[in-house]
Amino acid sequence: MPKGRCDAARGREGIGGVGTSDAALVRRVRTGDTAAYADLVARYRDRLGRYALHMLGNREDAEEALQDAFVRAYRSLARCDDPERFGAWLYGILVNRCRTTGARAARRARRFVSDPTALETAPLPGPAEQTEWDDIVRWALARLAPDAREAFLLKHVEELEYEDIAQLTGAGISALKMRVKRAREQLQAILKEAEHV
Amino acid sequence: MFDEDAVERVVRYLRRSVRIDPALDHRVMDEIAALPAGPAVPAGGVWQWLTGRRLALTPLGAIGLAAAFVVAVVGVWRVRSTPDSVEPGVRGFQFVLVEPHAANVSLVGDFNDWDAARTPMHRTAGDGLWSTVVPLEPGRYRYAFLIDGRLWVADPTAPTTRDDDFGAPSSVLTVGGEGL
Repeated sequence: MPKGRCDAARGREGIGGVGTSDAALVRRVRTGDTAAYADLVARYRDRLGRYALHMLGNREDAEEALQDAFVRAYRSLARCDDPERFGAWLYGILVNRCRTTGARAARRARRFVSDPTALETAPLPGPAEQTEWDDIVRWALARLAPDAREAFLLKHVEELEYEDIAQLTGAGISALKMRVKRAREQLQAILKEAEHV
Repeated sequence: MFDEDAVERVVRYLRRSVRIDPALDHRVMDEIAALPAGPAVPAGGVWQWLTGRRLALTPLGAIGLAAAFVVAVVGVWRVRSTPDSVEPGVRGFQFVLVEPHAANVSLVGDFNDWDAARTPMHRTAGDGLWSTVVPLEPGRYRYAFLIDGRLWVADPTAPTTRDDDFGAPSSVLTVGGEGL
């Protein structure tokens, strides 16, 4: 099991072992201490922002999804059954918000589309125009289908176990393994393509 | 250069920390501060409003009520009312919970943005009965009960659903145009 996976799934990572626990903050918010929620937002902003940024490909959409997820979580905090797992619960909300935001972005004929034909013709920057590794990575991620990109990021970047990913996404474990495998193969092919341009 | 190792290189690159503008915190808290607050029920108290209305207990609700008292744990059922004060097409639905040991109970659902502060339930003296009434237009609503701010209870007498966002089971109430 990758280091940190268990903590990430339980929403305890990044606390640094000091300060108030997630559960204590959640309880304070539930009793009317709205300001305590600001601590939770600050605690999870960057960690969840990484997933949103990689999933959606640009900061504007990522911050929109992130803000939406935080507000939805606040409004629904009563539904967080286990405050100790607030982080994992919040993760699930963000995954859904990223799907919604990504779908809306696709409808705007921007970068991330699932239709293979449209993917081929989308106005993506070509690898020849990319001089930085960062651009190549973003370009390669953008070429993945959304479900493959989602599974790849959750598994390899966020280091969640398949059981946790299945709970977050609603997909079966076999399907998730296939998506991750497909994503790795596609990334290899895309990077190889970039090498030859 | 770009082979399996390149994929691992991509993974390592993506695992780097990302910094999101801290101003996002303020935007979130500003949006939260602008959320509607306060009870979504008529002034004067739910129970006062409720007791002035004629109520009809559904058969399913009666079974649930009896079971709840017998078991003396948690029983949930729905009662329907048709108050005069609501708009045409809108009916008041009473939600009742038997939980003698609860300190507070809230009704949360699609109709109040799952905000536990907006629809607190009110306890009648001595019998552990918690109740509130919500005016609802025809439609499909998901709902649940929140006991003491932590225990999530779906309605055992109603169909349940698993919400896409939150993962916790909740109940489904469908309000038809003519009768329920």
